[in-house]
Amino acid sequence: MLTSKLREALICLKAGRVTLPYPFAPHDPEPGFRGKVTIDADLCFGCGGCANVCEAGVILLTDSGQHTRVLEFFWRRCTYCGRCQEVCPEGAVKLSQEFQTATNDAADLYLRLEVFMGPCQRCGRCFPPPTPLERMKRTGFRADGEGGRA
Amino acid sequence: MAKGNGDAERVEEVLGERLGRGIIAVGRPQPDTLLVTIEPGTVLAATQALLDDLGARFLVSVGTDRRPISGDFAVTHLFSLDQSHLYVVLECPVASENPEIDSITPLIPGAAWSEREIRDVVGVSTRGHPDPRRLLLPDDWPEGVYPLRRDFPYNERPPAAEGTRPAWVPTPEGASVVTLGPFFPVLEEPSNWRLFVEGETVVGCDYRGFYNHRGVEKLGDSVMTYNEIPYLAERICGICGFIHSTCYCQAVERAAGIEVPRRARYIRTMMLELERIHSHLLWLGIAGHILGFDTVLMQTWRIREPVMWLAEVITGNRKSYGMNTIGGVRRDVTEVTKARILEVLGPVEKESLAVRDAVVGDTTLHMRTKNVGILENAWARQVCVVGPPARGSGVRIDARIDHPYAAYDEVVPRLCAHDEGDIWARVLVRIEELLDSIRLVREAAAGLPDGPIVAEITEEIPSGRIGVSTVEAPRGEAVHYVLTGGDNRPWRWRVRAPTYPNLQAMPAMAAGGNIADIPITLGSLDPCFSCTERMETVDVRSRNVRVYSPAELLAMSRRSGRPGGGS
Repeated sequence: MLTSKLREALICLKAGRVTLPYPFAPHDPEPGFRGKVTIDADLCFGCGGCANVCEAGVILLTDSGQHTRVLEFFWRRCTYCGRCQEVCPEGAVKLSQEFQTATNDAADLYLRLEVFMGPCQRCGRCFPPPTPLERMKRTGFRADGEGGRA
Repeated sequence: MAKGNGDAERVEEVLGERLGRGIIAVGRPQPDTLLVTIEPGTVLAATQALLDDLGARFLVSVGTDRRPISGDFAVTHLFSLDQSHLYVVLECPVASENPEIDSITPLIPGAAWSEREIRDVVGVSTRGHPDPRRLLLPDDWPEGVYPLRRDFPYNERPPAAEGTRPAWVPTPEGASVVTLGPFFPVLEEPSNWRLFVEGETVVGCDYRGFYNHRGVEKLGDSVMTYNEIPYLAERICGICGFIHSTCYCQAVERAAGIEVPRRARYIRTMMLELERIHSHLLWLGIAGHILGFDTVLMQTWRIREPVMWLAEVITGNRKSYGMNTIGGVRRDVTEVTKARILEVLGPVEKESLAVRDAVVGDTTLHMRTKNVGILENAWARQVCVVGPPARGSGVRIDARIDHPYAAYDEVVPRLCAHDEGDIWARVLVRIEELLDSIRLVREAAAGLPDGPIVAEITEEIPSGRIGVSTVEAPRGEAVHYVLTGGDNRPWRWRVRAPTYPNLQAMPAMAAGGNIADIPITLGSLDPCFSCTERMETVDVRSRNVRVYSPAELLAMSRRSGRPGGGS
């Protein structure tokens, strides 16, 4: 009985103080952490692959007019799975190391991207180039070595 | 992996003898799965034969609305022949007019919840069920509306009704009622228990839960696609998420006949065991906390934290790993991360051993846990308890050994069992498993083979195939059943979490104990759980007692929940 209590006391004393000074000192996540989604507007050409695979359904794609495709990201419900990054053929979507996303303003967790598209001469609708589209259509999941690494 | 071929023939033979023309068809979707379609009238005879002659263990029942395909419902009972490493799937077609089938609960008490659920969600009623009350639908859900029928849209919301109450079991003669809940006192989860007490002694209890029912299965078969569901499955549980995503993926892979690369199976094994390590450390802390021994809580959670960070290194997130996908895993374990795993495991093992050595001799803990919350071996088998509560009562089952999946055919776990059946036995089982898991992660890391981490899937997943998968979660065995559908999603996806059978054993464990022992008895199941109907206030000065109605309470809580509202 007494030895047990002594052993328990020893465990506590040996551990000492373990609480991290965060948020007074920065606490960076490990490399490869899947944080807030960032998008490079220059690289995106509006194929919509990210909207297609988003399991939480937070990426919406609408064609407004003949030349513009609108991509809307509602990050409030993002589950940080990283599927968008995985399928993006241009590397435009990336998951950052940013994890401090708490905010009072819902607009902070919203992003709207307007992509200029060349419309089809026949039907007048926007279309993405065929090669990446074929890639999107692949059945099942394909690893590209990086496997969702941000 | 596929053993027990001879035994499947024996099952066929026995069922053939007992049922005769009652068998409609026999199939072998996988080498270790026997699918027997029977006339619904012979379900009792078939169950009896499986129990008596073959020693089968009941897993779960699934109700499926197949009206758009074959014009009928199906009630599917899943059994496991643990020694033969065989699943037996007993499928009973039920006519769509006035759907009804004989209840198997009189033979298997553990089937009670499954059958109540089938009545609730697909509307197939069970003849002769000893307790046909509502199980998981809300109390104000209208009669005759069945959410898992195919003609029920996933976003439909039936109108709310006022003044509905759960149907409680009548209080036994001479007993009074102590309400435990609406929140479980230490787990901070909604669960509503009514304890029947005579003095300090508990003579029975009744449970109403499922207040957190989220309709995951409905989303899976109507909104999401095969490759999106792993991320949903992962969120079924906050602790053993990887277990559910693995179990789902395995069920689909088995149904579709996808061969998972060996490297992926090893990585899954490593992650499953890391999850067991952090879950058991978490439980040990919670158990200490329930007993008022918070030192254990602080220290085990401190030991646990590096494992969570390690998960972040391997997967990119400390809890929602997002690792699993149909056909393998998404992220590889590099040599650098492998070294990191071994580096973290050293101190975790050393410190876990120190905690074990300290608590096993602690007589204060013995007084609270030995001979408390006893679950008899025979009753544990009857209610089909799984996991550490089963192994603590001498039921030697472990899905990793009985139905080897992932890499458990090569990295063999040790079965940790005790025969006492009390809370202390469950503590010991978990401590032994914790240490064994550390060994398993090391072995899996050492034996990690080269190769791809995900299978190339070139064809659509065919429809109408079934897949049964079990995974040994830290809390017990999880079961997923998938019936594939046509439009890139399952037709039916049934999830059975380990707490589902384990909670059904609670009345037996509580009976005969003291009220003060109830929290730790319940806690010793490592449960995952909901809600108030009324509250009394006493004015101290005037000594007036006022009873608030549910509607008044609701209005008060809504007022206080609004910005600027008072309490």
